Amino acid sequence: MNGASAQKTLAAVRALGFTHLLMIPDSECRLLYEAAEKDPSLPLITPCREGESVAIAAGLWTGGQKPLLVIQNTGLMEAGDVLRGCGLGPRVPLRLMVGWRGYGGAVAGQKPIDSAYTYTEPLLRAWGIPFWHLMGDEDLPALERMDRAAEATSMPAAVVTGYAFRP
Amino acid sequence: MIERMDLLRALAARRTQEIVVMTMTATLQWPLVSRHELDFDFLAFGMGHAGDFGMGLALARPERKTIVLKGDGGLLMSLGSLVTWARYAPGNFFVILLENRQYEITGGQPLPPRADFCALARGAGLEGGGATGKGKVERIETLGEFEKALPRLLSEEGPHFVVLPVTNSQPLPPVRHTDHAGRIERLRRGLGAR
Repeated sequence: MNGASAQKTLAAVRALGFTHLLMIPDSECRLLYEAAEKDPSLPLITPCREGESVAIAAGLWTGGQKPLLVIQNTGLMEAGDVLRGCGLGPRVPLRLMVGWRGYGGAVAGQKPIDSAYTYTEPLLRAWGIPFWHLMGDEDLPALERMDRAAEATSMPAAVVTGYAFRP
Repeated sequence: MIERMDLLRALAARRTQEIVVMTMTATLQWPLVSRHELDFDFLAFGMGHAGDFGMGLALARPERKTIVLKGDGGLLMSLGSLVTWARYAPGNFFVILLENRQYEITGGQPLPPRADFCALARGAGLEGGGATGKGKVERIETLGEFEKALPRLLSEEGPHFVVLPVTNSQPLPPVRHTDHAGRIERLRRGLGAR
């Protein structure tokens, strides 16, 4: 596994009926971001910081839309309060694609280990957010599992991407 | 300086089918003048992000205005939001910034005294910005001016960012942090969202 195709991922996102993408570019999701920029069928919103993304997504969902948050683990940590307030507390089924910065280096045995890597899965577990790994094209069905879980529970759910997207 | 309850009464008297998102002290006083299915109490939903939630609602529901009543202290918690609104906020997004220069709900601790919120909004690109390119930034000093401007603000294409200097002489009802899921569900029901 060496990262999912940005084009195939975007196609899977469209097939699941997402109406908006909220994404701040990072090193790993760069190609997905660039593919999304070229896709007029799926409005792309790029806030300044991830806490904004979560609140905007909650507003979109409350108004009847279905947004997908693409958010690096660092941004997830920054957005903790609003994820609590706009997602977990009021049972808003936010769909998250979390970029796992540090994963590639950690599994390759590189030191020092990025603390963003260390805390990502424990943090999701602490919040009670179910998650599935999306490490390559063969994992793309995880998007649908995440989507169904969010819908069934009316709670946030996530896929975690460990590698940079490929073209 | 405008007495906040007078401002809220004036807005409630003109408001029809707009969504009203409020936070902090406005959540305590708006219910004294309004009981509407499209009122939304954002208190405890995420510090500083009521406007962002409101922008999401405005994007989702272009058929009606979304009005956000928020404070200057809350805005300082997410100043980057101004830049985001300047890029994406649709024409039905209307922020009323209640400028009282303090963290009132926690006892009145003063805010940084020199921040100019209209200048910050203009610097972020809101004037002539938003998704429409018609964003407006205004400062309204008196209740009379606000009452006069309201019909325009509620009908004109925005987005609008309006700063109103306010004071409050009225006792505040107690804070309640209950039933967050119910608040969301009521608003969705009011909007007919599936």
